[in-house]
Amino acid sequence: MVTIVSKLYPVMWKELKSMIRDLRTLLVIAVLPLLIMPLMGLSSLYLQQYQQGVVVIIDEDRSWALLGGHNVSSHDLISKVVTALKANNFVVRVATNVQELKGVYFDLKVVVPKGFVVNLTSLTRLAYVKIIRTVGSVKAYDADRIVQNELSSYSKYVSQIKTLYLAGKSGLKVDVESVLSPIKVVVGIVGPGGVAASPAEEFRTYLARIVAFSLIFVTTPSIAYITDSIIGEKERKTFEAVLATPLPRQALLLGKVLSTSLVGLMAGVSDAVGLILFFVLPSLAYGVNVLAYLTADLVAIHIVGVYVSILASLALVLPAMIRAGSYRSSQAVSLAIISIASIIFFICLYVDIPNLQPSIKYPLYVLPYTHVVIMIRDIVLGAPIRALMHLGIALAESVALLALSVKMFSDERIIYLKT
Amino acid sequence: MEIFIPKLVVAQYYLRVINLFLTPACEEQRVKYTVELRNVKKRFGKVTALKGVTLKVLEGEVFGLIGPNGAGKTTTLRIIATLVRHDEGYVNVLGYELPKNRKEVRKLISYLPEDASLYHRLTGWENLLYFAMIYAESKENAHRLAEEGARIAGLSSNVLRRRAGEYSKGMARRIAVARTLMARSKLVILDEPTSGLDVFSAVRIREMIRDFAKNMKTTIIISSHNMLEVQYLCDRVALIHEGRIIATDSPSNLVKYTNATNLEEAFIKLVGDYSE
Repeated sequence: MVTIVSKLYPVMWKELKSMIRDLRTLLVIAVLPLLIMPLMGLSSLYLQQYQQGVVVIIDEDRSWALLGGHNVSSHDLISKVVTALKANNFVVRVATNVQELKGVYFDLKVVVPKGFVVNLTSLTRLAYVKIIRTVGSVKAYDADRIVQNELSSYSKYVSQIKTLYLAGKSGLKVDVESVLSPIKVVVGIVGPGGVAASPAEEFRTYLARIVAFSLIFVTTPSIAYITDSIIGEKERKTFEAVLATPLPRQALLLGKVLSTSLVGLMAGVSDAVGLILFFVLPSLAYGVNVLAYLTADLVAIHIVGVYVSILASLALVLPAMIRAGSYRSSQAVSLAIISIASIIFFICLYVDIPNLQPSIKYPLYVLPYTHVVIMIRDIVLGAPIRALMHLGIALAESVALLALSVKMFSDERIIYLKT
Repeated sequence: MEIFIPKLVVAQYYLRVINLFLTPACEEQRVKYTVELRNVKKRFGKVTALKGVTLKVLEGEVFGLIGPNGAGKTTTLRIIATLVRHDEGYVNVLGYELPKNRKEVRKLISYLPEDASLYHRLTGWENLLYFAMIYAESKENAHRLAEEGARIAGLSSNVLRRRAGEYSKGMARRIAVARTLMARSKLVILDEPTSGLDVFSAVRIREMIRDFAKNMKTTIIISSHNMLEVQYLCDRVALIHEGRIIATDSPSNLVKYTNATNLEEAFIKLVGDYSE
């Protein structure tokens, strides 16, 4: 054991020196995510301002009516829709028939058919508005949402008039809201212990999901480094001489894993910060400071999560790499492990793994990544003991896999590995 | 007649091998073998790399293993260097039977693989220091070993401060050979130490090995297909062909018994007969 620990130093010394001297690669790994991801967020936001959607409105009805002394008209409705769309940077063209705008491109078309006002002011019929979206148009969804919002407002306005009209006719005293929306919903938030929680706390749990999701990026650089550290050494013809030395295999593999994990940690943190900036910068543009919700404990648990995910990835990939018959097959295995990690980190955006059915939950518990995700969630939900337990399981699984790698390590297999 | 002469030569060697096995036990015990291989076989899938290699290397000698490409030189050396497990036969290195005593043997040997490269992002000095740290028990000893390596390599401190990626092939090989020799192991295994080098670099490497062998009295096994190199460096030579040792003796005896003018010719005569 003493020999293993004492011989860790030369391996880590050599690995870290080699990695640090590859400055170009390190810079690309560390700086690129910090630039690319916020740029992606900002540029998409910025460019969206310059992408004008086109909405075409056909007023085939062009009529009005009086209901309970109030004017109801297709023109009134359309002018409200036009105002709302223009406020959101849409180009709106209004016509009285389809032929007028034939051949004109649109993201959304709104048709107010003949008889709309008659039906709208009737007490027995429904009034229809036809909305047509252009397939593949991003702006069509925005326009649709705005139009439906205005239609809903106008619908409520007409309902109020009708209610007051009927109340007048029947001589009853009515409260319009009590008739139209008799149920009022009051929403409260509680934490896992049943104690009331604030909206800020609720937002932090969403943020925790994003932080866990950001781990999706941390596995790739470290797996690439460990592949290079073992298969690359074999390719560069530096491995065989080391294998014939008294260097214990545990020290050799552990030294490589630990030094790779340190570089992976740097890359992982950089990736995660880049992802957080991706969300933060656009939200700042809308006047919301998401950064204020990133508390010290969330940042700390994120770094722990990053490191444990890296260790787990290395521990998972190592036995497979050692047994792989060729460079290509070891790359295929690495890709498979990256994919598994990505699936776990992605599903944590939408799924609470501990609440899944046992037949699904327990197989997922076999993977260290699952425990990392749950650990982050538990810290945010104020359950540190449970979080520590999951951290312990993730570490234990990783250590067990590393021990398996040492057991499976075969000099002969590495030497005769096909490149 | 020309056909029968080599057969006669081979027959002489068979007798010599038989004599070696028939040596009385008391005499056998007096002879200390650093390496002993008996009928060692190794297969890789359908290919049989070693078909029964038998050889004995004496303590303190420079022993050459010569043969053409694919004869089994590297496999034999890898088995001795604990990297490959043999399928059949008996292997003993420095009193330890392999493969079960690999850890003990690794403490006593150093090995230079064929085409061994340096860590390109480390300097020449750091390449030496890395191996020195693996062999040495303390930091001070590691630095002493690395300094010994630098002395053996015979490169200036300016050169040693440069990254190995900037070295010529000859300079890189000098560092690789030096890092193998500096550990002062009881057995040094060098697999084609001069292969692919120009004449000047090859001569420099040979001088490094010869000086080391002369001063340190270490057992050295060298594989090569350069007969002149083997003749220059080795006390005894084993000729390996198609996974079998076909002759073992001093280079001068091999030349003499085969009526050849040099080792190359002796090898062709013996191998030519075997190819029949």
